[in-house]
Amino acid sequence: MFEYELPDVGEGVAEGEIVVWHAEPGDQVSEDEVLAEVETDKAVVDLPAPVDGVIEELHADPGDMVPVGQVVVTIDTAGGEAATEQSDGTAAGAETNGTAAETGADGVVAATTEDGANVPEGRVFAPPNVRQLARELDVDIGTVEGSGPGGRITRADVRTAAEDSVSGPSVDGTSVNGQETEETSAPKSAVSRREPADTGETTESGVEPADRDRTLAVPATRGVASELDVDIDEVPTDRNRDGEAFVQPGDVRAYAEAQQTAQAADAGAVSETTSETATTGEPATAATETGVGDADATDEGAVRREPYRGVRQTIGEAMAESAYTAPHASHHDMAPAGGLVEARRRLKPRAEDEGVHLTYMPFVMKAVAAVLPEYPAMNAQLDEGAGEILYHSQYNIGVAVATDAGLMVPVVEDVDRKGLLELAAEVNDVVERARNRELAPGELRGSTFTITNFGAIGGEYATPILNYPETGILGMGELRQRPVVEDGEVVAGHTLPLSVSIDHRVVDGAVSAGFCNDLKTYLEDPIHLLL
Amino acid sequence: MVVGDVTTGTDVLVIGGGPGGYVAAIRAGQLGLDVTLVEMESYGGTCLNHGCIPSKALISASGLAHRAGAAERMGVYADPAVDMEAMVSWKDQLVGRLTSGVESLVERAGGTLMTGRAEFAGGDTARIVKSGNGQGSETVEFEHAVVATGSRPIELPGFEFDGERILSSRGALALESVPESLVIVGAGYIGMELATVFSKVGSDVTVIEQLDGVLPGYEADVTELVHDRVESLGVDFYFGQTAREWERTGDGLLLRTDGDGDREGIQFEAERCLVAVGREPVTDTLNLAAVDIETDDRGVLRTDDQTRTSVDRIFAVGDVAGEPMLAHKAFAEGEVAAEVIAGEPSALDHQAVPAAVFTDPEIGTVGMTEAEAAEAGFDPVVGQMPLRASGRALTLDEREGFVRVVADGETRFVLGGQVVGPEASELIAELGLAVEMGATLADVASTVHVHPTLSEAVHEAAKGARDESIHY
Repeated sequence: MFEYELPDVGEGVAEGEIVVWHAEPGDQVSEDEVLAEVETDKAVVDLPAPVDGVIEELHADPGDMVPVGQVVVTIDTAGGEAATEQSDGTAAGAETNGTAAETGADGVVAATTEDGANVPEGRVFAPPNVRQLARELDVDIGTVEGSGPGGRITRADVRTAAEDSVSGPSVDGTSVNGQETEETSAPKSAVSRREPADTGETTESGVEPADRDRTLAVPATRGVASELDVDIDEVPTDRNRDGEAFVQPGDVRAYAEAQQTAQAADAGAVSETTSETATTGEPATAATETGVGDADATDEGAVRREPYRGVRQTIGEAMAESAYTAPHASHHDMAPAGGLVEARRRLKPRAEDEGVHLTYMPFVMKAVAAVLPEYPAMNAQLDEGAGEILYHSQYNIGVAVATDAGLMVPVVEDVDRKGLLELAAEVNDVVERARNRELAPGELRGSTFTITNFGAIGGEYATPILNYPETGILGMGELRQRPVVEDGEVVAGHTLPLSVSIDHRVVDGAVSAGFCNDLKTYLEDPIHLLL
Repeated sequence: MVVGDVTTGTDVLVIGGGPGGYVAAIRAGQLGLDVTLVEMESYGGTCLNHGCIPSKALISASGLAHRAGAAERMGVYADPAVDMEAMVSWKDQLVGRLTSGVESLVERAGGTLMTGRAEFAGGDTARIVKSGNGQGSETVEFEHAVVATGSRPIELPGFEFDGERILSSRGALALESVPESLVIVGAGYIGMELATVFSKVGSDVTVIEQLDGVLPGYEADVTELVHDRVESLGVDFYFGQTAREWERTGDGLLLRTDGDGDREGIQFEAERCLVAVGREPVTDTLNLAAVDIETDDRGVLRTDDQTRTSVDRIFAVGDVAGEPMLAHKAFAEGEVAAEVIAGEPSALDHQAVPAAVFTDPEIGTVGMTEAEAAEAGFDPVVGQMPLRASGRALTLDEREGFVRVVADGETRFVLGGQVVGPEASELIAELGLAVEMGATLADVASTVHVHPTLSEAVHEAAKGARDESIHY
């Protein structure tokens, strides 16, 4: 009998969602045969059978979230001596509709995943480097559930716990918002929004401010609060130390975020009150709550709830981290692209001969790699902890790809050292595999600059969010003919709208403007790439 | 000559240049802090000058002499002569090398060295009193202070150390001739280590101990092996005896004891007496009243898991911060103190502090014993490998001792270990790593170990706990 625990399918992945099983109880499987597909926050990976045998029991259903280290399948390796296990198995099988965790609790090895609770107090099974990380992230390691062998705590477990403690209060925050809006009717909140200066009640429909006289927090937290313009005495928290409320950076961010959401929602309520009330007769509350994405169950049918997890959650967290950490500034410009269109037109058949479909992307990547050395601050990152700016010597470009499951950014390394054809082949390959969700987690890491081609869908300009901790990102609008002025005449000419966002802590606006100007030179006439 | 007061400022004032202090100073310097290290005697503290290092030097030298003379079974015939003066001067040489190494390490890390006795003069100032008349004093303003004043041997009333007949461990390690006879009061690790040394170089050693056995705090099957071996070297033990008084005789002393319960008191003569009944923290040099820091009844400075005392800007590390009084604990605390002062999220969160006794055979322990594990709420499983089944032990002509691994029966995490035997102080390191990493029995049992080595016994013990022993 082999109890197969969900392995760490990517570096540092803490859990995975079972997408589909390719085997069912009774099936004969052989080692390395694909048993299931598991979606982690990084990618979808195949789960190979670890041994030859007969599937005894599946411990999770498709859609179940399974922590690394939990038994997902029992495989009978010998055949026989399974009698007692089997009866357990049937019992568990009867409730396979339960969550993975519940099902797991029946399993023999479940003790190991649950044993956080069994380990006597004061005793932590985590290597020193993991305990160090917990201190850095301000996580109480005693409360972290381990996913390693025997329940050992890994770095990923600590990171997950840290993220939970940051996102936790934010979820609370919005639901508090929901209640608040429900209790005080929407129009009233709208009114109070209109006269904030008078009442000073700027947070009427936001999270309830805690309004303490005294708050314990480390200086870094106070720094975050002043950065986000939040009064630290207003930030709600459940933690306390020596009887005093103790606020952490996550609390501050969550509070600030909830305040912003509330303001946006209120603004929405104000603008939509008329139409909403007219058409549905419902108070604007519904609109408000829909906007927040946290409608009450009483709004039956108006809202569909879907778990925020997997790739969606990863994107969300990455966006939030980027947007709230790096002050963004964007620079927009229109690049003349006649030369680019011509170059591609001439090279395309040659590429086809080599079996490679040539898009504009490799040209833009080459141009970016040619310009970046002049603007090292845009191929960099800020190490806040060390108080240092790291300048990358490699030019690894991430290519944002919209997939059915959301945004993925596979990486093409050393763009400056690769030929156009090689780049084209590589980009096509990773984009294709990103769409099919076949990327290995490693292929989504290590970029130093990112390009997003939103223009493929249409549009002129956008505000790209940095692929944090990168300091620069280039957005491409739609390349098409637009009216341009040539020698005093309006004529049709190919143009490519460019939208560059920067981490304004590291990069100055003049730098991003210079970057765009140089980029335009290369795009207008790609022959410059030969220099 | 300096008259009056010169005032200087420093980020970190480290008081005491022993293992806790010098490590704090080096680490603080590495972290870019301006650090001043004050030492009133010699850098390296008790450990380098009067403790770990000198005792280990004498232990290995005396052990070599003893082994060479007791290896007939291996076909070696020798009658080594011991020149105690030469042995001690060899020891002093290597100690000197190490202490000057400490000084240069601190300086290389950017630290400033000062000589003198530091006492607090206020919440953020200390006066450094130079030794010798007319040397004046210097006032240092500090942002943070790290107290690392260490400990000293406890004196028994009536047995004040005189450096001649009544010796502390420090005095015993500086003896330039082998005493014909030596009585040792206390069978703790210091008493047992020195009983081994002096019996091996030819002293007639007697040990008296208040309690009923040697090495209190260690498990019976661990101490038994050491007791037997030391006894076989010719050391006499008297348990349940308390040293009462002594009087001077011709070139030695006459010691009288009180017996415990119905035991009769005894008396005997010896050339010298070593009192090794424990160590107490040194705080009386510090003028603690000026900073309003409290100590517990034993004089220990209480600290939190960041080595901070009850006063925010003052930290305490090493022996002065309490048990276990071990140099490696002081190292760990010194690093944490410096890192905390530098603003790093550092803390003392080690799961276990290993300990070693350098008797013959050695003892090494880390983490929990089986009984402690059960008491803590675990369901312990134990694997034990006797060294008589170890090929390497036999080639060393050693057949006593064992390696024991204690693990949690449910999760299989390694919780602790006890080793008795040659190189136990080294062997315990592997189990320490296992405890600290949260390794399971399978992790240790699946690690390939070099053959033939003593470390294989650790491997076998882990396998034994899994009922998978191969060689035993």
